[in-house]
Amino acid sequence: MAAVVEFKNYSMGFKDDDGQVFNLLDQVSFQVVPGKALGIVGESGCGKSMTSLSMMRLLPSAAVVQGGEILFEGKNLLAMSDEEMSKIRGEKASIIFQEPMTALNPVLTIGKQIGEAIQLHHPEVSREEIQKRVIQALEEVGIPNPETRIHQYPHEFSGGMRQRVMIAMAMINHPALLIADEPTTALDVTVQAQILDLMKRLKGTGGLVMVTHNLGVVAEICEEVVVMYAGRAVERGTLKEVFDHPLHPYTKGLMASIPTMSSGKEPLHTIPGTVPTVYDFGPGCRFADRCEHCTQRCRQQSPPEKQVGEEHLVQCWLSFEGEENADA
Amino acid sequence: MSRYLIRRILRGLLTIFISVSLTFFIVRAMPSDPVSLMVSPQMTPEAQQAMIEAYGLDQPLLVQYGKFLVQLFQGNLGTSFSKHIPVTEYLLQRLPWTLMLLGAVIVLVLGIGIPVGVFAARHRGKWGDRVVSVMVTLGISVFIPFISFLLLYLFAFRFKVMPTGGAYTPPKGEGLSYVLDVAKHLVLPTVALAVTNLANAVMYTRNGMIDVLHEDYIRTAYSKGNNEKQVILHHALKNAMIPTVTVIGLQIGVMVGGAVVTETVFSWPGVGRLIYDAVNALDYPVLQGAFLLLAVAVVVMNLITDLVVAWLDPRIKLGGK
Repeated sequence: MAAVVEFKNYSMGFKDDDGQVFNLLDQVSFQVVPGKALGIVGESGCGKSMTSLSMMRLLPSAAVVQGGEILFEGKNLLAMSDEEMSKIRGEKASIIFQEPMTALNPVLTIGKQIGEAIQLHHPEVSREEIQKRVIQALEEVGIPNPETRIHQYPHEFSGGMRQRVMIAMAMINHPALLIADEPTTALDVTVQAQILDLMKRLKGTGGLVMVTHNLGVVAEICEEVVVMYAGRAVERGTLKEVFDHPLHPYTKGLMASIPTMSSGKEPLHTIPGTVPTVYDFGPGCRFADRCEHCTQRCRQQSPPEKQVGEEHLVQCWLSFEGEENADA
Repeated sequence: MSRYLIRRILRGLLTIFISVSLTFFIVRAMPSDPVSLMVSPQMTPEAQQAMIEAYGLDQPLLVQYGKFLVQLFQGNLGTSFSKHIPVTEYLLQRLPWTLMLLGAVIVLVLGIGIPVGVFAARHRGKWGDRVVSVMVTLGISVFIPFISFLLLYLFAFRFKVMPTGGAYTPPKGEGLSYVLDVAKHLVLPTVALAVTNLANAVMYTRNGMIDVLHEDYIRTAYSKGNNEKQVILHHALKNAMIPTVTVIGLQIGVMVGGAVVTETVFSWPGVGRLIYDAVNALDYPVLQGAFLLLAVAVVVMNLITDLVVAWLDPRIKLGGK
């Protein structure tokens, strides 16, 4: 099936005040197919959010695209005009942000903010019809009394309710691609579960990208996984492959850090060190400093992407069973 | 809402009362005596005495104050010492001219200040923004009389394209030619008076806009498919205007009381010029009336500003539950 969105060796970085560019995302490739959910996981600072913002072309002004392509329904997003891009945003691709407390405009009513997405892309729809659809969308995401709620402002909603509003807003035009950038991170645990249930229910026919640092969320919702580390997609494949047979030392470390019912009282596994910042990436593998299998080669040359199994790729110098070089 | 309004109005009345009382005593504490200015040495002592009594200046201060308050509640502001007409009538003659000047200033401040502020914010750090920032700094720090004299020198004296002062060229014309004549006289005082306010409006709009454009909800607005113009117009402006409206609203209140220096320099027949004349003539009733007007204007503009800000920002609850 044709991919909704496909990253092809996409690289981007940040420009500092002197104009020097520091690479963050390095040759990232993956694709999202209709009806399936892709999880992007990794620690804070790994470039997960930059990946999701790249898909919407909403990167901060200091960001610079360094190469590659992002194909949306076969067309390169990076080559589109601003006008073409605004036609895609909110209509064919939409995004749910991490912070529901600040992502809604405080001086506009909820009804207006959701309805705007319809109005912008379908100016022919009447006001009554827009209002009807907004009320229906709020009902779908489980907001009680939508008829009165549409006239209220964001500060009259709780965090969980605001995130529901964000979801209703993102889903109102039934986009082919829905990106959820840590949609539950800012919420209470009980509310998180409700929002995840809702997202699972609404997944529908479009492609879903779930950006999160929570492996449980990925296991719950996604069919495919990309593990990001310091701007590189170090391991990717189907959920089953990656979660059941993690190969990259970083993925293994992440898996081992999850507490389980049987893990007893001994200290949890941790990965030593922290994610390097864009200013101290070396020429080799970016995980080298924290890796227990690190060799001289790891520090000098960045590892190739190897195909291991049908739907499983990994970027590492270690040898794996059944590997073949993906580039070869 | 209505309870809030009643409370605000009562508090406004108290403010006005305190302000007029202070004015009453302060004008009388001035180190000069209106009697010596009004009374000419040629008058007989009897005539002098009769005049002093007519204005009630022979009575103790507190008695004068009591009488003043009683008259005030009856809507009577007394009679001008120098013009010998009721103060209310005198003020009402001058007020339209000040309001006209003020209206022109507001049009200039809103019509130019807000777009320029938005422009500077959109081009933050680029040369357009830098030029605007330099102008704003100049506009805020400039000495208004200096601007007034500079404008007069350049446009009235050097290039002779503008009148030197007054509100119209006597004799007073009629119809369209009169309107155009007044408009021409209005230009220089408006510009002189608008400079600082305009600079403030640009600065507050620019800074408000820069803050707002970094908010998460602006990114949300883009993510829905708004283009830059739509984001600024529908999402950013209303948020960014909140501080600008507050500042401009309060400035307008103060300006109703007359721009004393500017009106005097341009001989504009408004309330500011009246205050200047009244101080020179030690015209107590006129000064009291003018300051009453100022207090009322400030209180009313404060209230209007709060209402507008509450309308812009639904998070502000009037009545503060």
